[in-house]
Amino acid sequence: MEVLLEVKDLKKTFKLTKRQQKLNCSKEKYKVAVNGLSFNAYKGEIYGLLGPNGAGKTTTLRIISTLIKSDEGDAYINGISVKNNPGEVRKMIGFLTSELKLEDFFTPNYLFDYFATLHKMTKEEIEKRKTELFERFGIEKFKEVKICDLSTGMKQKVSIVISIIHNPDIIIFDEPTNGLDVITAKTVTDFLFELKKEGKTVILSTHIFSLVEKLCDRVGIIIEGRMIKDDLLSNLTKDKSLEDVFFEIYKQEVGE
Amino acid sequence: MKEMKTIIKKELKRFFTDYRILFSLFLPGVLIFIMYSIMGSFMSKAMDPKITEFNVAIVNEPEEFKSFLKVEGWEVKINEKDYEKQEAIELIKNKELDLYIAYDENFYMNMESYEVGSGEPPKVEIYYNSSAESSAIIYSYYTECLDEFESTISNKFDINPNINENYNQVEDKDMTVQILSYVMPLLLTTFLFTGSLGICSESIAGEKERGTIATLLITPTKRSHIVLGKIISLGITSMASSIVSFIGLILSLPKLTGTSFDFSSYGVGTIFSMLGIIVVTVLLFTTLLTIISTISKSVKEATSYSTPLMILIILIGFSNFMSSGAVANHFLYLIPFYNIIQSLIGIFSLSLSTLDLLLCIFSNIFYIAIGVFTLTKMFNNEKIIFNK
Ligand SMILES: Nc1ncnc2c1ncn2[C@@H]1O[C@H](COP(=O)(O)OP(=O)(O)O)[C@@H](O)[C@H]1O
Ligand SMILES: [Mg+2]
Repeated sequence: MEVLLEVKDLKKTFKLTKRQQKLNCSKEKYKVAVNGLSFNAYKGEIYGLLGPNGAGKTTTLRIISTLIKSDEGDAYINGISVKNNPGEVRKMIGFLTSELKLEDFFTPNYLFDYFATLHKMTKEEIEKRKTELFERFGIEKFKEVKICDLSTGMKQKVSIVISIIHNPDIIIFDEPTNGLDVITAKTVTDFLFELKKEGKTVILSTHIFSLVEKLCDRVGIIIEGRMIKDDLLSNLTKDKSLEDVFFEIYKQEVGE
Repeated sequence: MKEMKTIIKKELKRFFTDYRILFSLFLPGVLIFIMYSIMGSFMSKAMDPKITEFNVAIVNEPEEFKSFLKVEGWEVKINEKDYEKQEAIELIKNKELDLYIAYDENFYMNMESYEVGSGEPPKVEIYYNSSAESSAIIYSYYTECLDEFESTISNKFDINPNINENYNQVEDKDMTVQILSYVMPLLLTTFLFTGSLGICSESIAGEKERGTIATLLITPTKRSHIVLGKIISLGITSMASSIVSFIGLILSLPKLTGTSFDFSSYGVGTIFSMLGIIVVTVLLFTTLLTIISTISKSVKEATSYSTPLMILIILIGFSNFMSSGAVANHFLYLIPFYNIIQSLIGIFSLSLSTLDLLLCIFSNIFYIAIGVFTLTKMFNNEKIIFNK
């Protein structure tokens, strides 16, 4: 099996501001968010990152997506270092999270051209891809409506389209349904299942067990910045439910 | 490069098609014009009803010219006393006398017998004070009368022929130049600053607040291109906004002050020097304000962090109110902000040397480059970009 993403001994510590210290109710000046984390994701597989809030999932995915830099360790996509060559890595990844927003003022059509140009696509490539994606997500009819006037569901679809505009080798989802209403969330999960059918490589962080059970080939369980379990879903669950397995592991680790 | 152009185009599209932004950019200029014009017309109505009374002293006035000063609706008081020239000049300076006209003896006769090209023509000297409105009015009226008369008799006498003599008794030579060199540098820099303030504060901090910056950073576009794209589009927009404000001010200025400004002393060179200074000033302000916006967590924070900078710039503008003319020391043209104010004073008072202009422009380009470099570094720094 071909390794597409290799994460090696990632470590990331945040210096906390006074305000963050108060929010955490602790006097600790530093927070180790990711603590020597490693895993591999293979081509054509869907990898699920599972973990409680604050486990370090977002931090890990942000490091992989080149938005932030690790203190130690590195991640490689198709063998290219995220740390040393972020520009190349950006060409190969798509990143979708509810934190990445589109500018309200523009239309899907305009934003498509804009981001496609920033991805250095040619005019012909842009038109071809646009027709394909707008049709697939039913955006065609709304392509000249400003983002702020779109329904949340349609907004989400445009976000998805923009994140995969350059047909990336690997798509990273960070709690993609977080904060979405059920119908909009369904748009996202439907898309995930389509990607699975197409044999795309996906990294998905979530705490929805059922989604992982239905979707993922491989699961990593992160607790307090460390990878506790990293295995095929089938090896992990055997005859138990993922939820039970997770809480068993969690109890052992945290001890409660 | 293409990506930078794409970013510039997108930003400009936003600025120039969003009604709310357009409003905030160009309303100030329009308001300045309307307000100052209204204020000006109220003030002129309240303060000086149309001037119709004049105080004139004439020496050796030819009989034939006596009709000049008989004007419908005017009350021209002709002083009978024969003033000495020096005495009259003193009175004009103090604005007690509006005009002192001294004809040569036997002016009319000499004029009639004068052959063009043979020796000195007879002359008339007219003293006035352009800072007194009544004096300026009657001076221009009287010289017009003489000019008209002279042209009918083919140039047989001279008006104010002595180039070494100061006929205008205003304290300094050109009032327009003086007023403008005092007030304009401060006003112009303030407008340039406020023109940039709104959109620049909003730029990065606003994107952080709305969560759109990361969407841009996830693309393979070079950080330096993103930064330059932002700066250039913000610069163009700020410039458009401040120039509209400035034009509003210039157009309303005559109405506000009641005097008409004579811009004829300023040539093409002035316009280009001014344009150069305006461009670097706007880009410098834009860069600084964008840096502040990038450091800030929210638009509100960015605006309040920018206020001290604004106060600093206004203070530097004011500090030069007392001194007259631009400084001569070349090194002073390297000091940020100060060099902009000094250069503008120099431009408006027509005393800026080319060297100082270039020093100012290039030192500012250097500061802008440092700013852009810093911004690029900041865009690579997650602690700054993701400090929401
Ligand atoms: N920019 C930051 N500054 C300080 N602390 C942070 C920052 N980002 C994340 N953290 C902290 O790091 C830990 C891991 O966060 P995160 O990766 O968001 O977890 P998850 O996504 O698994 O919920 C949390 O305790 C969080 O408070
Ligand atoms: Mg998270």
